[in-house]
Amino acid sequence: MVPLSYYLAVAACLFAVGVIGLFLNRKNVIVILMCIELILLAVNVNLAAFSHFLQDLGGQIFVFFVLTVAASEVAVGLAILVAYYRNRRSINVDDINTLQG
Amino acid sequence: MTPVNFPLPNVVPLIPEMFVATMAMFILMLDLFLAKEKKVWGGYLAILTCVAAGGLTLMVGSAESVSAFYGFFVLDAFSSYAKLLIYAGTALAVILSLDYIKEEFGVGEYYTLMLFAMLGMMIMASAPNFVTMYLGLELMALCTYVLVGFQRDVLRSSEAGLKYFILGSLASGFLLYGISFLYGVTGSFDFATVGSGIAHSGSGARFAVLLGLVFVIAGLAFKISLAPFHMWTPDAYEGAPTPITAFMSVAPKVAGLVILIRVLVDALPSLQVEYITIFSWLAVLSMAVGNLAAIAQRNIKRMLAYSTIGHVGFIMLGVIAGNADGYAGVLVYMTIYLFMSMGAFAVIVLMNREGIQGELLDDFAGLSKVRPGYALAMGLYLFSLAGIPFLGGFWAKYVVFIAAIESGHLYLAIIALLFSVVGAFYYIRVVKYIYFDDQRVEFNFVENRLMQATVAVTAVAVVAIGIFPQPVINICKAALGGII
Repeated sequence: MVPLSYYLAVAACLFAVGVIGLFLNRKNVIVILMCIELILLAVNVNLAAFSHFLQDLGGQIFVFFVLTVAASEVAVGLAILVAYYRNRRSINVDDINTLQG
Repeated sequence: MTPVNFPLPNVVPLIPEMFVATMAMFILMLDLFLAKEKKVWGGYLAILTCVAAGGLTLMVGSAESVSAFYGFFVLDAFSSYAKLLIYAGTALAVILSLDYIKEEFGVGEYYTLMLFAMLGMMIMASAPNFVTMYLGLELMALCTYVLVGFQRDVLRSSEAGLKYFILGSLASGFLLYGISFLYGVTGSFDFATVGSGIAHSGSGARFAVLLGLVFVIAGLAFKISLAPFHMWTPDAYEGAPTPITAFMSVAPKVAGLVILIRVLVDALPSLQVEYITIFSWLAVLSMAVGNLAAIAQRNIKRMLAYSTIGHVGFIMLGVIAGNADGYAGVLVYMTIYLFMSMGAFAVIVLMNREGIQGELLDDFAGLSKVRPGYALAMGLYLFSLAGIPFLGGFWAKYVVFIAAIESGHLYLAIIALLFSVVGAFYYIRVVKYIYFDDQRVEFNFVENRLMQATVAVTAVAVVAIGIFPQPVINICKAALGGII
């Protein structure tokens, strides 16, 4: 049987990839959305693993909530991105610089 | 055969929430049937909803705490008081929107989103559980992202929405990652159970507990814009429609601080030493960033954004004090801040015509000669924000500073005092523009009775609380009875 620490390590890697990708990415806002998904995925792996090893269903139910909220979050994010693209004609991360100071 | 029982959950404590949800959907539908010039009715209805929800909250609220839905919802004096602040903040922000949001943007959706954001905050204020907290927080956050980017064809607005969305989602991710570790250690999402689980967890789980603590604090610090998690604040404040900036400066902060206090008191009491250390650093950083960066701003919305960051730093002194006086101080601070901040934004919205006039500090030059009333009110808010004695803001700072000193954080209180002197500089600079400089732009004010009444009421409240602070302090102390 795969021990708990393996799951946590995978989740930690996913989380790190998500966070690092979010800050290093200089190209495209869509990639940022993917990074956010990765972070939430890491959380879900964590919750499901803990839930299994603690023999407690609560964690898996929370995973469903997180999945649902993540879906609506992406819907809102893409809608804002479309509105932004219409004004700016670019979704390059370096172009998001109107507001500064 | 034994009859199967389906016990209905006790829905009475949730009546205000259900009412607000129903009214939000009703306004969305009603908007479709209203003629163009009557669209503003949606706004009036939203204000009525806030007032009625306040009445319902007072009706169902009680001094002792009532739990509903199998411990997923709690109603106590603390959450009731927080909800009243949230209603007041939302209602005032709706009043500021009445003339600002024109029909091309979709008026109905706007007020619906505001009410749903308010619903999210109400759920946060009543959450005894990480699941409820997360759902309320996301409901609030998703609505606020859209509201910030609401002016679809204005680049600043959609860019602010985008930035706020990206950083806000990252914060939610942090928060969830922290929650997952606390769950892993304790096997529960319930604050009280998590609290006792952490207290009984061995040293083997220490690392996971600290990881959970740090990530949960980081996630919540984002929401209340505590430095160094404040990066979204200036951009979102500047780009958002001004009434939404006013909205964001008060109501979500109340909800965020309330849930932060609840998490710290119920779920993490055995980590008090650790979190006080973390918050001390964050508070000092927040005061420094907020008060120093505000000096360099030329745009008043951006300046007030940094001012919020600084104020959150001061408010944190109450949390650091970690006792009933400190938490009561947080509530007192938010109550008084509500009036100061809403009043200042009301004057900005009144001046706001056609794009961005009324946002640069220069636009305020000579205001006292044209509209002495607005100038006086703005002066009062700014002096109050600066913490000049015998205005509301002075007592707000006084209460949290005293709480911090009495709990042995004298050095923090001294640092805070120094930074509030620095902060006074940029507030009083605006007063100088208003009273001593010559007019530079053609003033063109919105004439709206409700907004003028808002200015009058908030200005009177700032002065009245400054002279008689004791009732507010007593109410806030009573509101804390439920949790400490």
